[in-house]
Amino acid sequence: MDDQWKIDIDAIAKYSANLPEVEMVKNLGIKPRLNVETLIETINSRKLERLVIAGDMPGYYKPVFTKAMAKTGGNVDEVRLASFQEHGAKNGQSLDRAKAIIACATMAVPFSLAAVPGGNPVNHSTLVIGAGIAGIQASLEIANAGKQVYLIEQSGTIGGHMAMFDKTFPTLDCAACILTPKMVDVGQHEMINLMTRAKVVSVGGKPGAYKVKIRQKARRVDVKSCVACGLCVDACPVKVKSEFDAGISIRKAIYIPFPQAVPNTYLIDEEHCRYVLNDGEKCGVCVRKCPKDCIHLDEEDATVDVEVGNVILATGYELLDISKIDQYGYGKFPNVVTSLEFERLTNASGSTGGRIVTKIKQYNRKTKQDEWVFSPEGVPPRSVAIIHCVGSRNKKYNAYCSRVCCMYSLKFAHLIKEKIPNVNVYEFYIDMRAFGKGYEEFAERIREEGTYIIRGHSASVVMNKNQMVVRGEDIFNDRLVEFDVDMVVLAVGLVPSQGTEELSRLLGVQRDVDGWFSELDYNGSPTDTDKGGIYVAGMCQAPKDIPDTVAQASAVAAGVLRSLTSGQGIGSMSSLTLSEIEEKAKTVHAI
Amino acid sequence: MAIRVNPSFIDDLSRYGAEDVQLCYQCGDCSTICSHADDIYKFPRKSMRQLQMGLEQRIETTLEPWLCYYCGQCSEQCPREADPGESMMSLRRWLISKYDFTGIARQFFKSKTSEILAVILIALVTGIFLMFYGISGGSIHIYDGEGAFLPSQFIHKFDLTIGSIMAIFLLINSIRMWYFTMIKGVLIPVPWWLYLKELYELPLHFFTQKRYAECESNGKQHLHMPWLIHLGLMLGYVTMLLLVLVFVEPLQAGPEIRWSVHIFAYMATIGLLSGTIYFIRNRFKKNYTQYKKSHSTDWVFVVLLFFIVLTGIFQHVFHRTGLYEWANITYVIHLMAVVPWLLRMPFSKWAHLAYRPLAMYFAAIQKAAYERQELLVDSVSITIK
Repeated sequence: MDDQWKIDIDAIAKYSANLPEVEMVKNLGIKPRLNVETLIETINSRKLERLVIAGDMPGYYKPVFTKAMAKTGGNVDEVRLASFQEHGAKNGQSLDRAKAIIACATMAVPFSLAAVPGGNPVNHSTLVIGAGIAGIQASLEIANAGKQVYLIEQSGTIGGHMAMFDKTFPTLDCAACILTPKMVDVGQHEMINLMTRAKVVSVGGKPGAYKVKIRQKARRVDVKSCVACGLCVDACPVKVKSEFDAGISIRKAIYIPFPQAVPNTYLIDEEHCRYVLNDGEKCGVCVRKCPKDCIHLDEEDATVDVEVGNVILATGYELLDISKIDQYGYGKFPNVVTSLEFERLTNASGSTGGRIVTKIKQYNRKTKQDEWVFSPEGVPPRSVAIIHCVGSRNKKYNAYCSRVCCMYSLKFAHLIKEKIPNVNVYEFYIDMRAFGKGYEEFAERIREEGTYIIRGHSASVVMNKNQMVVRGEDIFNDRLVEFDVDMVVLAVGLVPSQGTEELSRLLGVQRDVDGWFSELDYNGSPTDTDKGGIYVAGMCQAPKDIPDTVAQASAVAAGVLRSLTSGQGIGSMSSLTLSEIEEKAKTVHAI
Repeated sequence: MAIRVNPSFIDDLSRYGAEDVQLCYQCGDCSTICSHADDIYKFPRKSMRQLQMGLEQRIETTLEPWLCYYCGQCSEQCPREADPGESMMSLRRWLISKYDFTGIARQFFKSKTSEILAVILIALVTGIFLMFYGISGGSIHIYDGEGAFLPSQFIHKFDLTIGSIMAIFLLINSIRMWYFTMIKGVLIPVPWWLYLKELYELPLHFFTQKRYAECESNGKQHLHMPWLIHLGLMLGYVTMLLLVLVFVEPLQAGPEIRWSVHIFAYMATIGLLSGTIYFIRNRFKKNYTQYKKSHSTDWVFVVLLFFIVLTGIFQHVFHRTGLYEWANITYVIHLMAVVPWLLRMPFSKWAHLAYRPLAMYFAAIQKAAYERQELLVDSVSITIK
């Protein structure tokens, strides 16, 4: 009903009126004010047995209709929804789809049931896009079942965000201890063809037989002969902020993302390498230093064509661009950090060796300016504020809940308390969403540890005489509070990763209003997309924590293996025409 | 004491302008960012909560809505776009109708037709009465002195009559406000001498409106411009009211300009004119949060005032340039706008001229009383067990 999705309502009304069994069609307009009495009158006078509410969010109005139906003595189960948005009819182009949705609803056939097609023979290889924990899990499941997997990853190493984490909630297990063995497995698995620094550039073919063109950026270091001696790194003159360390430490232009990286070899960051940027006219010092002659700075990018039957999307997420939100002073005050930065700070493999410290001033000889950096010599903070829902549940940024922030913020509180004696930790939250197994108990435990958990968001961080002050309202204690803090951690909301939009265009997979990939049916088939043979796993479908991600990844693997072994083949829902869907709906209806 | 909950309170209030209260999820960002919220008066969040819960009887006794000057910061950064600033504004409208015992204010706020009809009706009655009086006793060709169309002695009495009617209503409403907020709203004893001790607050806030100047925008700059304009408008208005009620005879004598009186009138006119133009312009352009939503009564308020100022200026100019017929006609039109304006005062937004300083005064008394009871919590010295 929103202006931006302009489905032709009149055309739909005309179409619905001609459907069998349809007695009357009424256009209620935008945001209708519904009256139970008039509805009852209409139902009685026209002797209606089934009501179909069609629209973008018809469920919102269902209670009124149900009430009216119940009062007339009708069957309340016959109040049905034809939800355009949910089933992927999102704009003027999807008019046929909207019609199909209405047709199914009037015939009382669940849309996804009517529209599941079959038929295409399936190629037995699978493409997994994204090698975070979701991609790794799905790949391993499929590869262990003896099927070929192409696992592609955009960055230089697999592992994704989970590799950056210190501990997992609520068990406080070491994240690396869970992930690293799986990463090694992926690296060594004979059925997994791992391609790092790779991107999908085009997708052709049909469900069951996709032809995918993959562009693999040159690593410029020979994976086989490199022994990771590190001489090249010492020689490299270029310093860049480390992506893996969320920008809180420095790496060189030739680097290894982190010690446990898979594949565990160096690579050249061609965007910063002086040799590459100057077309080979400058530098090249690493080549001269390398004792094994495995650096080839002129190596060209490669394009690989693969044919696969199924595609798994596991492209993950990234943090909301925090520079949009200025009220917390991020970027202005040195010791305001994002959750990922803090995660790297507290990680034992981070730049401070896991010590939680405040930033210190350091003179940068190149820019001739003082810079604030995390260093092992830093002083631990005496008090830390953790602010929840930064950019989440906020109509200006992300309307949705990012789902993991409450729990990792509590985990932070625990880690700070564990590592720094006599520290004060303040958690400013709006609603505590401790929804999983053991989560509520975890929250209770953190509370008992003496963390000051404040019901009430903080709107501002200000600097008062070189001391950061966090203001907030402590709603349960009915007072306004101001705390002096040395460090502020922002639980920043999550957004789909950058390439999600491009990928959805390439593959023809729908995205929801927030930009995440749309699943076929939120309850019934949360891992499928409406495009046959394409699945979603992990964060790229919606924010979720590690257990849910792993579970979904395994479920996806089950779906892929089913398509390979059932012999029924696969097809795409969106490839069916309106008449085909109608036909199918009629047959299902008849049964 | 049990409190009766009115579940439809929130719907009632939507007629006064607050439409999005239900969206609020109590994060407290608004109270945090507000430069006026303090340990006792924690708004807007608390008011929003009371609204959501339908605690009509409690809101009736609160001073919080009057302590807000609507800088709009809370609405700008509200994550739910629940518009707390507008809710506080609507609560002020609601409180005005609550303090008013006649129910007229309620009618005006709820139905713009009734307000406009009332204004037109009173204007017509005034116009007919003045024309009748003028024609029967004087000549339209004479403006001042012997045989004037509207002799200034008569206007003086006329103004005083209208003024006293207005004053009586306003006084009764102010007493009701005192009863609601200071008797029903305060559960601790308030000694009488606190009323004397804090009395200076009343003129202080009336003449300086310093709390408005404390409002900030974007957490940094002080809102000096709207404050200055608002202060100019208010001072201009009060000066003009005094001139009209007390000094109308020298004001209307002519044709030479009497600087001892007119200098004040000119200054007041500048304040009124710049104020009304500024506010009308902002309400049209909707350039700040506080002007984004205009209630029908807001429009009547500024437009009518602007019209009064304009006709007043014309009347003055016609009088001094010898166009006496025109001066008399504009005078009648001017008064046709002034009378409904004045009579409308205790029932409209205008009443905040009295309620706001009173609220600051009452708030100071309440704070002193709480301090006396040592109930004030020092927010900074919270320690962890």
